[in-house]
Amino acid sequence: MSNKPLSLEEQLKVNDLTVRFYTYEGIVKAVEKASLKIRKGETLGIVGETGSGKSVTALTILALTPSPGRVEDGNILFRKRDSSVIDILRMNEHQLLQIRGKEISMIFQEPNAALDPVCKVGEQITEAILAHRLREMVEKSIEVIKKEKDNEYDLWTRLETWTYKEMLNNPSDVRLKIIQKIPIIRDITKRRLRQVIRQEIVELLKLMEIPDPGRVIDAYPHELSGGMQQRIVIAIALACSPLLLIADEPTTNLDVTVQAQILDLINRLKEKFGSSIIYITHDMGVVAEISDRVAVMYAGSVVEVAPVKELFRNPLHPYTKGLLESIPRPGSPLKSIPGTVPNLVDPPSGCRFHPRCAYMMNKCKEIMPRLVKVSEDHYVACLLYEGESDD
Amino acid sequence: MIRWIKIEESPRLKETKFILNRIRENPLSLVGLAIVISFAVIAIFAHILAPPPPGRDPYIIPRAGYFPEPQPPSPEHAFGTTQGQYDLYYGIIWGTRAAYRIGVLVVAMSAFIGIAVGSLAGYYKGVIDEVLMRLTDIILAFPSLILAMALVVAFGPGLDSITLALILVGWPGYARLVRGEFLRISAEDFVEAAKTIGCSNLRIIIRHILPNAIFPLLVYASLDIGSIILVAAALSFLGLGPPEGYADWGQLISLSRNWITGTAANPFAYWHVYTIPGVFLFLFVMGWNLLGDALRDVLDPMLRRR
Amino acid sequence: MSSNLRTYIARRLILLVPTLIGMTVLVFAITQLFDPIERAALYITEPRQARFVKEIIAKYGLDRPVYIQYFNWITQVIQGNLGWSQSLHMKVLDALVTRFPATAELAIYSTPLIILFGIYLGKLSAIKRNTVIDHASRVVAIIGWSLPSFWLGIVLLAIFYGGMGVFPPGRLSEWAEALVRSGEFKLYTGLYTIDALINLNFSVFLDAIYHLVLPVITLTTINVALIMRVMRSSMLEQLNKMYITAARARGLDEKTVIDRHATRNALIPVITLSGLLAAGMLSGVVITETVFEFKGVGYFAAHAATQLDIPAVLGFALFAGILFILANLIVDILYAYIDPRIRLG
Repeated sequence: MSNKPLSLEEQLKVNDLTVRFYTYEGIVKAVEKASLKIRKGETLGIVGETGSGKSVTALTILALTPSPGRVEDGNILFRKRDSSVIDILRMNEHQLLQIRGKEISMIFQEPNAALDPVCKVGEQITEAILAHRLREMVEKSIEVIKKEKDNEYDLWTRLETWTYKEMLNNPSDVRLKIIQKIPIIRDITKRRLRQVIRQEIVELLKLMEIPDPGRVIDAYPHELSGGMQQRIVIAIALACSPLLLIADEPTTNLDVTVQAQILDLINRLKEKFGSSIIYITHDMGVVAEISDRVAVMYAGSVVEVAPVKELFRNPLHPYTKGLLESIPRPGSPLKSIPGTVPNLVDPPSGCRFHPRCAYMMNKCKEIMPRLVKVSEDHYVACLLYEGESDD
Repeated sequence: MIRWIKIEESPRLKETKFILNRIRENPLSLVGLAIVISFAVIAIFAHILAPPPPGRDPYIIPRAGYFPEPQPPSPEHAFGTTQGQYDLYYGIIWGTRAAYRIGVLVVAMSAFIGIAVGSLAGYYKGVIDEVLMRLTDIILAFPSLILAMALVVAFGPGLDSITLALILVGWPGYARLVRGEFLRISAEDFVEAAKTIGCSNLRIIIRHILPNAIFPLLVYASLDIGSIILVAAALSFLGLGPPEGYADWGQLISLSRNWITGTAANPFAYWHVYTIPGVFLFLFVMGWNLLGDALRDVLDPMLRRR
Repeated sequence: MSSNLRTYIARRLILLVPTLIGMTVLVFAITQLFDPIERAALYITEPRQARFVKEIIAKYGLDRPVYIQYFNWITQVIQGNLGWSQSLHMKVLDALVTRFPATAELAIYSTPLIILFGIYLGKLSAIKRNTVIDHASRVVAIIGWSLPSFWLGIVLLAIFYGGMGVFPPGRLSEWAEALVRSGEFKLYTGLYTIDALINLNFSVFLDAIYHLVLPVITLTTINVALIMRVMRSSMLEQLNKMYITAARARGLDEKTVIDRHATRNALIPVITLSGLLAAGMLSGVVITETVFEFKGVGYFAAHAATQLDIPAVLGFALFAGILFILANLIVDILYAYIDPRIRLG
């Protein structure tokens, strides 16, 4: 997979992404030439241990690489709603605001940490809606006013209508700006808008299968359980029906029963919203349940990509084999991969897996293998299969 | 044949190297260090920089007569003289030594008491902890300058009273810090391990826990010296310090209070009497604060690895 | 008010009791450094009683066991008798009460400035981390932190009053002082700026402000660093949190992320630590009032200390300690209001 443009059925393509962290201890080579693609409407599972670079990759897709990380190389091609293709890494901050939350959004590992503790849940969802769907909401509010015929000559209603029309047609109007600055007037002139948004949020929360949405809107995050919090985070992510949803271990910190509910919910919402999903996890069981295709990451690189059934039936990379064998099964002894995850400040030369690999050859120490196609839709980065390439 | 043996660096050595490295990278901390060292040099060589008249207490500033009006800097008096003709230069030089003496003495004694109390409270926990911490609470419930002022009044004015009062007011801060570190460290596995292999309590405290609490203590102490000198100078300025003529910065500044208006011809005729001792006091405190602030940044676990 | 908040406040109030008792024990312990004759001044309420020292010693048991003495003393303190101040020739409590408005006036003008500047600079410094702005504001803060307040006061006086003849020391000019003392000017609060406004006397108001400028600048400069450094580190901590990344991932612009989310959360520790500011202010007024001859409680205490006026100094220490505790109580309650995790339990 090189720098090929995006084909029509593809939603996102990550090419040779390299991210490094500049720390006192040295340069952490967190992601090294990682490549991925996600088709429209597909769920791609990314599996790997802690420190394999999956979360960094996910955040980099939103151009939110955590500091002190820096993208050194690669590109991230994304097909927007209007079918134009952009490279996320080459957007300016203003353009990115139109991508984040609207075209691509994200669900986080710890719902408790991903919600602002001093901000009501409803306010946080409102923010997402206001950031991207203000126009739609204002139009709806005007509709609402039109339906209430008896209020037509009410001065306040007229001011409110005027405000909305100005917001749509001439948002930089000075009079509008003045009105927005005066506390009480500001609230009165946005009464319907607030009702419309609240109604929208209630509908959204119902979709998230949240009981009693009216109460939850006015709650603070700490008043909700972990499962409820995660539903709120999902609601925020889906508030603007994104094309791509990145879920970074969304069930890891939840109880097992809640885990199943959330997985179920994500699966159903995917059908409804038609979004593509990148599902990051270290749990092979979850991967099997949710993904169409799976990418396996090890020490910052993608080592194998295949449809989920193919991967479980015919794992090719020695690391994938090891991962599958280390799933505990009743009756058989627990297997593990010998050795430990390498220190990414000073990663092994060549193939990063070679010190732990049972099939290690001499050239593995020197050559870093590239992803090659071994069969339809099955790619692997391992020198054992280099010759079979027909790519 | 020589064989190279790879010596594993001990983690504590590595930590120290890391800290020194960070200090070297931070220009402000270097400025602080330079100021602190310069003052130390002045304090150590005070008897060479300003030789005291033989047979007298070197901290008593020699005076050139009893004329009230301060005299501007001149060849005989490099920094001029104060009200009552005390030599300002001599006062500054020996004042440096006095400042170091009080700062180091107070910090050393408060740290000593604080470490003892904090270790007891943090190691044995329970009732001992409760009683000792309530004691620190009570002392910390007073603004420190005000409690120190009351104590100095009770002991009778003078430099020794100020020193004693500042120790009594200062130790709870160290005790709190050490206790916190003890609670944190004694929860770690290596302490449990040391207990399991039968180390004595004293040995665990001194060999295993205290060395790990040393860096936060250093930060606290270096910031503390600055504020101790400020409070001591303030008390002395208020008239609770040593008798007139003693080499003490706070008192020198206090001697300038009648001379801020100058003469009709030159409103700043007596600029030297308030400017010179004030600048020295300020620089001394700032040197320690710069150093302490930089140390804290280096040791802040949240900020350090970036 | 939710029941959670009520229990929270009630618990804080109950926790106050042992600290208050501890404070009185400490102050009482200091009195034990004096012999009974000196201690007698702590119990008298007018100078004529000074002749009957022996009777006082007998009455309050000053030669009897410590716990009896403490009990007798604390009974007097609770009744508001803090003794007789020789340096001021009045009862200590009266001295504190009559002089407190001046100090309150200083605090009322400096505290908002300290908090506003401190929060602004700390926030700026954190957002612009490791830039010239950050370094500059940190250097300014360290300078402010290291300046001896009494020296800063003297230098300001020398420049403005000595050099340019403006901003004189004192609380009011002589003409204004005379006017305030005359019957025409009604004192309501003892805060001259506020009373002048109530009396609609703008020249007294301006005169009072004129005298407040330098002391307020001094107090602000010395204390702003405290708030600034707390705000900076608190802000840096918040900016590293996941919910900030989550807010950015929602497509919010940087201004919204910082103002609505990071700042609101960063302010919480600043509020809890502004109790320390109360200590800084109480110590600060002793020095500042002395330098500027601004006759509040701090000036009174410093003056009494040089005269070794024991009842006045101890009374002031107790007074300052109680104020400090109250300030911390207010901070705790404020904290509960702001942080929903405490307010709603």
